[in-house]
Amino acid sequence: MTDVFLDTMRPTPRRVRRAGPAAGLALATLLAVTGCTGGDATDGDGITPVAFTVTGPLCAELPAGTEPGNPESLAGMPADQAVQWIPVLTTFDAAVRATGLAGELTGVTVLAPTDDAFAEKFSRTNLDELLLHDTDELRELLREHLVTAPMSVAEMVAAGTVKTVAEGELTVTAQGSVARFGNEAETVCADYQATNARIHVIDHVLGSLPTTAGGEDDHPYH
Amino acid sequence: MRYRRTKAGVFSSLLAAILAVTALPALAHGKPAATALQMQAEPNQVQNVTVVQGDGYATLAWTHVDGATDYQIERTPVAEDGSATGNGVIVGLWRPNRQINNDKPTFADAGFAPGDRFQWRVRARFGTEAQPYSAAVVGTTKPHWGDPNIPGQNLRTQWEQTLGAQYTSDVNEYAYTAAIDELSDRVRVTEIGRTVLNRPINMFIIGYPKPPATPEAVAATSPLVVNCNVHGNEPGDREACFIMARQLAFTQDRATLNLLSKTTVLIVPTINGDGRAANSRGNSTGQDLNRDHSLIRQPETQAFAEMVRDYRPIAGYDGHEYGNANTGDLPMLSPRHANVPQGIFDESQDMIEGHMYTQGAKDGWWACPYGCTPGATVGLGQETILRNTLGLKNVVNSLLELRSSGGPTRPNESNTANNRRRKTYSGLWTFNQFFQYHGAQLKDLNKARAEAIQFQSANTGPIVLEGSREIKAYPAPHPGEAPPPVDAPREENILQHAPCAYKLTEEQYNGARTDGPGGQGTTVAQRLAAHGWKVIKTNDGYIVPLSQPQRGLVPLLLDEQAVAGLVAAERIMPTVTGTRKGALTVSGVTCIADATVRGAITVKKGATLIATGSTINGLVNADRAAGFVLTDSKVNAMVNVLNTAGPVIMVGNKISGSVLVHGTKASGPANVANGVIGAPLVAGNTLTGLLTCTSNAVTPVNLETPNTVRGLKIGQCARI
Ligand SMILES: [Zn+2]
Repeated sequence: MTDVFLDTMRPTPRRVRRAGPAAGLALATLLAVTGCTGGDATDGDGITPVAFTVTGPLCAELPAGTEPGNPESLAGMPADQAVQWIPVLTTFDAAVRATGLAGELTGVTVLAPTDDAFAEKFSRTNLDELLLHDTDELRELLREHLVTAPMSVAEMVAAGTVKTVAEGELTVTAQGSVARFGNEAETVCADYQATNARIHVIDHVLGSLPTTAGGEDDHPYH
Repeated sequence: MRYRRTKAGVFSSLLAAILAVTALPALAHGKPAATALQMQAEPNQVQNVTVVQGDGYATLAWTHVDGATDYQIERTPVAEDGSATGNGVIVGLWRPNRQINNDKPTFADAGFAPGDRFQWRVRARFGTEAQPYSAAVVGTTKPHWGDPNIPGQNLRTQWEQTLGAQYTSDVNEYAYTAAIDELSDRVRVTEIGRTVLNRPINMFIIGYPKPPATPEAVAATSPLVVNCNVHGNEPGDREACFIMARQLAFTQDRATLNLLSKTTVLIVPTINGDGRAANSRGNSTGQDLNRDHSLIRQPETQAFAEMVRDYRPIAGYDGHEYGNANTGDLPMLSPRHANVPQGIFDESQDMIEGHMYTQGAKDGWWACPYGCTPGATVGLGQETILRNTLGLKNVVNSLLELRSSGGPTRPNESNTANNRRRKTYSGLWTFNQFFQYHGAQLKDLNKARAEAIQFQSANTGPIVLEGSREIKAYPAPHPGEAPPPVDAPREENILQHAPCAYKLTEEQYNGARTDGPGGQGTTVAQRLAAHGWKVIKTNDGYIVPLSQPQRGLVPLLLDEQAVAGLVAAERIMPTVTGTRKGALTVSGVTCIADATVRGAITVKKGATLIATGSTINGLVNADRAAGFVLTDSKVNAMVNVLNTAGPVIMVGNKISGSVLVHGTKASGPANVANGVIGAPLVAGNTLTGLLTCTSNAVTPVNLETPNTVRGLKIGQCARI
């Protein structure tokens, strides 16, 4: 699925209903954004738009159009801030903050696993340990999700193999309309652009830590 | 102590937010659309679909179709002129186990951004065979609560501003909290403690026209409390609490103001600020705070316990999120520990099964029992869990879970902003319903509480160290028709003969502990004080009588067989039972239980009397005792309690004569001795004579359990 966002100065009537930009939260650009699900190439005045396109099956569920967190609004942000706007990256965002890794999210491609992916990988207790105590281990894990240069999905697929900041190698293959990293992880919403970085949301945790999920502790009761 | 962030910088951003909100176009509220215009019905087509807009949800209702096994709800975004602006999506699956009256189907659609306009259609299915859709109903959903042009009402949280893309950060929480505090006379924000990493733990205190000035005055209004966010990775309820605080602070709704004029609402948005910031379940040490409410090893749970002690809420809700995709929207559970007084359990069940199930069926929310998936081992009687701890403290309450995932009944969520909005607005619905229930049931709640305090203080019946009360199944709304696990107490976990008291050594009571953050724990003395227990200091130790309002919790912390105990104290069993002819002189510690004393009782200097369930046919006189405890007893003469060095507890007695409580010293740890813990407890007694209290260091309290006095209430006891 593809969402195309058009850069124009004039909101179309049907999109004015959702204003509510967040003060001090770098949303000023929202008022200037229009377009949602359409594939329109131009607006009514014939101004050539700049497209911000994200691709993948999950994109339709993520902020789009003029909604806070839409792909265009993230384009001017450092990657550590951009991930804070993507609702399925709560755990990844927390991990970035816990490990103080924000400074490394520039000049890279961020392969960011979803919250569901983290929950499938780590038991809740294990995740708490990583976030609160074993942050060195967590930092190394995150570095296995950083590719050494900003690349679009198409560029990565074309490269076939990419290098991670952790100095590992990842094979990249096309699987229909999505890209696969290694054996399991696939893009679910790819090609977010942040300042000097690309963000691809993926559906599995990469790297070498053991899987601890699958037991009673995945969803500890109240 | 009162926490205020500096406002510079904070207000500028809030002002900008207000301006931005003001710029929103005026929105018509959803009006039920033209169902009457529909054409000739097709066979099995759903009829009479209506939509009613709530805060963040839209309640759809329709007429049941004979033979339907379930229904699908479709939502399509539309423009003002009714033309579709996006694709129709199945957002809901109605199943008969959603509601108690499932012949009148309702469904609360939620997840959309507030203020958007939609059309809805409903269709029945027979098995997997879809029947024709109903005619469409159209409505504009309610925008974020509050008039953008009215100061205060126009505040918005970070979560609202971002339509759920972001949760409200700690810094923005403090700004929003301070703004409400500043702009509303009805609200006072108090810092009840600090987290391990020194974040403030704030509490909204809300009353009308303004909240009572002191904890003691708040307690007198039978307050209710919402604990919004104990697990840092479960933030949905916390956002609901912020919105609710704004609603209560600035609403002009007369019915709400009427309720607020009769009670006080306590909202603790973020007890676990460190965990919220880290998105961890535990606090910064990794401790699950909802396994710490009895043990209070952590400063966060200590703050909450002290708040409960001082503000004395009579009802509560504890907010969570739950990972089971197959459960209801809103799993709930009452305090089940077998030591929870029957009336507290019954009222909690009534709140859930009587009120929430009924209102949920009306508004389309699927409230259901927690832990009801077949084979589940969740939702038991652990006293470390707030639900049970509060029950043991005579607070009618419930757990609230917001189902984490959309699950099969809400197929359009996928862990995104849709999902977050549905969760938070379902929580907001629940907390507002809780407020309504409390208001409507205030009399019953107070009665249940007073009876519970008297029951516990009487120290009757066995003590259960582990095990739960049974919760029975209903056909609906119990998913899978499985009730929560039985968890009946096992024989070895029952003390058939309850001790009269526990005795702690100096080392046990005041010794250093290592079970807190960084290997440094507070002392047992500090923890028992946080719970508000009365402790009698004798010349060779510390006596904790069971004859006090939290009796059911005492052995769970102090008994040698406790499952999650704090310290293995010595059991003190009753020393006087049966019938005793003649007078009794008490020196040392004397426990009288279910006895008849045919004569006077004299408690000597430095001695301790603990008498329960007994009949005393003579004068009871204590002067300079170490402690004086008289509960659930009949005294056919005067009772004089003079110059007691430690606690005085008199609960649920029938006294044919007068009572004098004079010169009681403030007992308990020095930092809290001037509060409720250091006050003589005189509650639920019936006197034929006078109740006189004079020269006590702290004014006696009745824990909102009044005494019935045929004569006069005099001096410090004039109002209890
Ligand atoms: Zn929880």
